[in-house]
Amino acid sequence: MHAFAERFSTNGAAAELRRAKEILGEDDDVSDVMWGSSGGFGSLVNGVPKFAVPSVPDPTSFLRMHTDDHADPSCRIKIKHGTTTLAFRFKGGVIVAVDSRATAGSYVASGTVKKVIEINPYLLGTMAGGAADCQYWETYLGIQCRLHELRNRERISVAAASKYLSNLVYSYKGMGLSMGTMICGWDKTGPAIFYVDSDGTRLKGDLFSVGSGSTFAYGVLDQGYRWDLTDEEAQELGRRSIYAAGHRDAFSGNTINLYHVKEDGWKFIGNYDISEMHYNGPGGADGYGYDVRVQGRTSANPPPEAAAAQA
Amino acid sequence: MSIMQYNGGSVIAMVGKDCVAIASDLRLGSQAMGISSHFEKIFPMTDRVYVGLPGLATDVTTLHHQFRYRLNMYTIKEEREIEPETFAHLVSSTLYEKRFGPYFIEPVIAGLQKTASGDFKPYIAATDLIGCLNFAKDFVVAGTASDKLFGVAEGLWEPDLEPEDLFETIAQTLLNAVDRDAYSGWGAVVYVLTKDKVIKRELKGRMD
Amino acid sequence: MDVSFAITGKGYVIVAADTTAARSIVKMKTDEDKIKVLSPHLLMAYSGEPGDTVQFAEFVERNIRLYHIRNPHGLRPQSAASWIRRTLADSLRSRRPYSVNLLLGGYDTSEHAPHLYWMDYLGTMVEVPFAAHGYGAYFALGLLDRYHDPEGSLEDGLATLRRCIDEVAKRLVVAPGQYKVKVVDKDGVREIAL
Repeated sequence: MHAFAERFSTNGAAAELRRAKEILGEDDDVSDVMWGSSGGFGSLVNGVPKFAVPSVPDPTSFLRMHTDDHADPSCRIKIKHGTTTLAFRFKGGVIVAVDSRATAGSYVASGTVKKVIEINPYLLGTMAGGAADCQYWETYLGIQCRLHELRNRERISVAAASKYLSNLVYSYKGMGLSMGTMICGWDKTGPAIFYVDSDGTRLKGDLFSVGSGSTFAYGVLDQGYRWDLTDEEAQELGRRSIYAAGHRDAFSGNTINLYHVKEDGWKFIGNYDISEMHYNGPGGADGYGYDVRVQGRTSANPPPEAAAAQA
Repeated sequence: MSIMQYNGGSVIAMVGKDCVAIASDLRLGSQAMGISSHFEKIFPMTDRVYVGLPGLATDVTTLHHQFRYRLNMYTIKEEREIEPETFAHLVSSTLYEKRFGPYFIEPVIAGLQKTASGDFKPYIAATDLIGCLNFAKDFVVAGTASDKLFGVAEGLWEPDLEPEDLFETIAQTLLNAVDRDAYSGWGAVVYVLTKDKVIKRELKGRMD
Repeated sequence: MDVSFAITGKGYVIVAADTTAARSIVKMKTDEDKIKVLSPHLLMAYSGEPGDTVQFAEFVERNIRLYHIRNPHGLRPQSAASWIRRTLADSLRSRRPYSVNLLLGGYDTSEHAPHLYWMDYLGTMVEVPFAAHGYGAYFALGLLDRYHDPEGSLEDGLATLRRCIDEVAKRLVVAPGQYKVKVVDKDGVREIAL
């Protein structure tokens, strides 16, 4: 009733808007259809997007049955897996490093995936698990962060942004969303990292690594990590850790993308080919590779007379 | 996860003009985790017969020893070296012996066969894991990257390549195919067989 | 749940294995020695299916000993490894295979060089400069690629081992508490308190 009256009244906010539109010669309100699917970004002005779910009695278990390739490798819907991502906090800010390989089964589907999502100039999100899930929801998070800024005249905190994402994915729990992400940024409290995954877990911390190669990355990262790392040391540690994972893990590799978040926002440091790092290293002189590093060194120890006889 | 993909690895062989080439990667994995980048899968049987054994790593070693033993017995009894075609049949029957509990290997054989006129004719063959022989005039592939190898080889191979060109062709085919396979790679090795020498080259490949 | 590591260095191999014997969710024993001394210059760390492990290790131990009695010289590490691999590979296709993973560290006194073999229950064998079995491998291998030195002194080797153990303790949910560490070099085998 109210809406009906408002549409035909000649005063009030709606009427003002109508008049302004007539003056500017703007079209009538465009329908959602014009913006793409109802799940697309076009509908975001209307709040949280809605998705069609399978019309079966229990959509949750139906989706799990057909998307969980871990339990059943021949499942119909294959979601791309396999990744190594890491982020850590230190004196000089936050380092974010990721690999760039996407695999479907044993096939290397791409070696140039961008697994760091630039949410806004102060926030980065990393991508592990379902590529589409991460890309969509972190971009969506970016929109919401911008709206927060406009509404509150202040940037959203990393804690709030990550909590928003966490609550969002939790509302889809059991429907087959698959994401393990780190929301990294700089806010009033300084540098911050939150781990958020599709189970609904949200953890604040100094150092995280996510993905199939994370254990290899942790091995190098933990042993080299200190709070008072210099910027150069920290970037080198991030790079080396992703290299370690790219080397040992079949499902990680190709290139490294390195970011550094400081007080004035994030900065893209560079893209490094993992094979190039193996043989030559970032400077072109010291390769990270074990065989490259220990070339010419041997564990044999012939006694002096035997060594002399051989020579 | 298939048992044929447990350790990963791939082999390819190609025919050239009066020469053959056989190449493999060097990875040994335990599923997704790489264990060694020095695991050779190609073995010389004679100076003119080479065999590549991609598949389950335990059977790579077992079959290598088995073939070595049978070949030595053959050489002693016959008092001559084995010909590639004969060796291919030895491979085939060795595998079929285990028809109901097979070795998880798909061998690739490359060699130079002696003709009646005393020349050498290129010979390549591959078998499945129970010994079905497959001869080819151009190239044969096997292993976890076999589908990718087929694709690249189909595009790069041409008839009557000289040894150096054949080397380049097989090397590029292998390196580019294994880069698209998560379970193959970690370095590569190429053998080019000509009538008077064998060239072995280790290739620098992507190490991820 | 067993974790074992092995590291070669200048003239030695360090072999380390955790000392817990667990059954279900219970730790039955916390000082179990899972490293067999097979000969004066050969060590074998074993892990895998409870029951199979000790049975197989003792079988290997007795056979290596028998070889020593029958022959004037003992088996070199390469030969011992080859025999053990063959035993596992044959066992794999028997009625009831042994499920045992091994790290075999030896010192070859004739070529004055240490040797380390990584072997799994399938009979897969490869010689490596460092190795690990169990969940520990996922944390240690990346680290060892970074820190291992084939010419490192025994102290360097033990420091690297310490890194592996610390890393596993830090990150692995079911990390074992204690490890037994043995070393083989030109002087033979000895145990080291870490």
